Amino acid sequence: MKRLLIAEYLKTRRRYVLVCSLCIIALQIAWLLAGNYDEEALRDGWMMFLYQLPLINAIFVPLFCAVVASRLCDIEHKGLMLKQLCVCAPKGALYDAKLLYGAAHVVLALCVQFAAVYVFGIVRGFAGEFPIRLYALYALFTIVVSLGTYLLQHILSLLIKNQTIPFIVGAAGTFIGLFSMFLPQLPWLRKLFIWGYYGVFMFIGNDWDSATRTNHFYYMDIDWLAFAVLLAALALLYWIGRTLFCKKEV
Amino acid sequence: MQEIVATYGLTKRYGDAVCVNNLDLSVSEQRIYGFLGPNGAGKSTTLKMLLGLVKPTKGEIDLFGKRFTAKTRLELLRHIGSLIETPSYYGHLTGRENLRILQLLLDVPNANIEKVLQIVRLDKQAGKKVSAYSLGMKQRLGLASAMLAFPKLLILDEPTNGLDPAGIQEMRELICSLPGEYGMTVIVSSHLLSEIDQMAKDVGIIANGRLLYQNSLAALHQSEQGKNLEDIFLELTGKEGSL
Repeated sequence: MKRLLIAEYLKTRRRYVLVCSLCIIALQIAWLLAGNYDEEALRDGWMMFLYQLPLINAIFVPLFCAVVASRLCDIEHKGLMLKQLCVCAPKGALYDAKLLYGAAHVVLALCVQFAAVYVFGIVRGFAGEFPIRLYALYALFTIVVSLGTYLLQHILSLLIKNQTIPFIVGAAGTFIGLFSMFLPQLPWLRKLFIWGYYGVFMFIGNDWDSATRTNHFYYMDIDWLAFAVLLAALALLYWIGRTLFCKKEV
Repeated sequence: MQEIVATYGLTKRYGDAVCVNNLDLSVSEQRIYGFLGPNGAGKSTTLKMLLGLVKPTKGEIDLFGKRFTAKTRLELLRHIGSLIETPSYYGHLTGRENLRILQLLLDVPNANIEKVLQIVRLDKQAGKKVSAYSLGMKQRLGLASAMLAFPKLLILDEPTNGLDPAGIQEMRELICSLPGEYGMTVIVSSHLLSEIDQMAKDVGIIANGRLLYQNSLAALHQSEQGKNLEDIFLELTGKEGSL
């Protein structure tokens, strides 16, 4: 596996995959952090970000996953490399190595986001102590959902030569995920699609008082059953994708 | 002479279409085996089955005296190099970088990279991106990739495709030297009869998925005296054999 991962790294020379990843995350961070921070915003800063981040992730992270998966898989299709690679290493190991390498980009990008949020909050002087437990939960859910999204894009980009199709799926999924977050009266809609789980695991709600023009952020129950079901579904998806790739004739 | 490749009733069916039909190939060690057939005869599919890239519908394959199964596949493939249809490469990487990736995956010495580049005469262009290579250079890189582990068996599917006459001659001379200089057995598939006539010691002729003839080239010429390989081939395959 170590040799396969080194090979994945060498394959991406001059493809600027990491640069693309960091650019998308930089855009996301700029969008998140932009704006005026009045007294109320500084008072509720940590909770405000926990409320906003899932929404912004639902927009940017699926796009990020589609781009990274496509760039990593397209090099194999363009150069017709699969017929060469599949006689050098086990197909399952090739699938796993490429998935791990791409997943590392996702985790790295999210860590950059987490660090940026933390540093910004400290520098801007958000009130109160940094709520480690809440942000740890946020990090857990974000990483799991994002890796699930990446897994789906990886499978599509590896199995399908024409990268337009995975991109369309990613774009459609982004809209579905975002749309579902604005339909709380249909909670089942979010749970049907991986992109909706940014909303499922959103555990900070907001009450806007139009009279006093103030926000009130509150803690919501976490759907741990949905989390368990998601983990099981992602394990199944991984197995299906791997099996399909291993059985595919080259 | 030891049999390095043997197939027994090898068949591949796609729906109702039988692409390869009951093939009994036999390739002897350290010989060049010419695998001839018109377009769409089933040559590439057969070679892909030998490499495990395509799963046979029926039949068995023995490589190096061992049965080719899912379990033995990679162990046997370590001794095989291949160039199937068009050459595979990462266009954004240099020739040397392409070989470096394969060297890692095959776990062979780094020194093999420079050796194979010299053999195929790409050592001076190895620092250029492959996207800037001519077709002949890409073919030579494909051959270098196939030879990187200095395998016992080399499977080349139409290696002279797209080459100019000088390139074809160079490729032919290189392939002819491989059994003597490196102890390799070579299976070369082609529809260029003149090339196979100059390279191969043994020949198998396939058409519509069926193996019509298999023996040494000398025996073929002896049994069909007064006829050239083209005449013999067209008689066996028929002009309707090509797609």
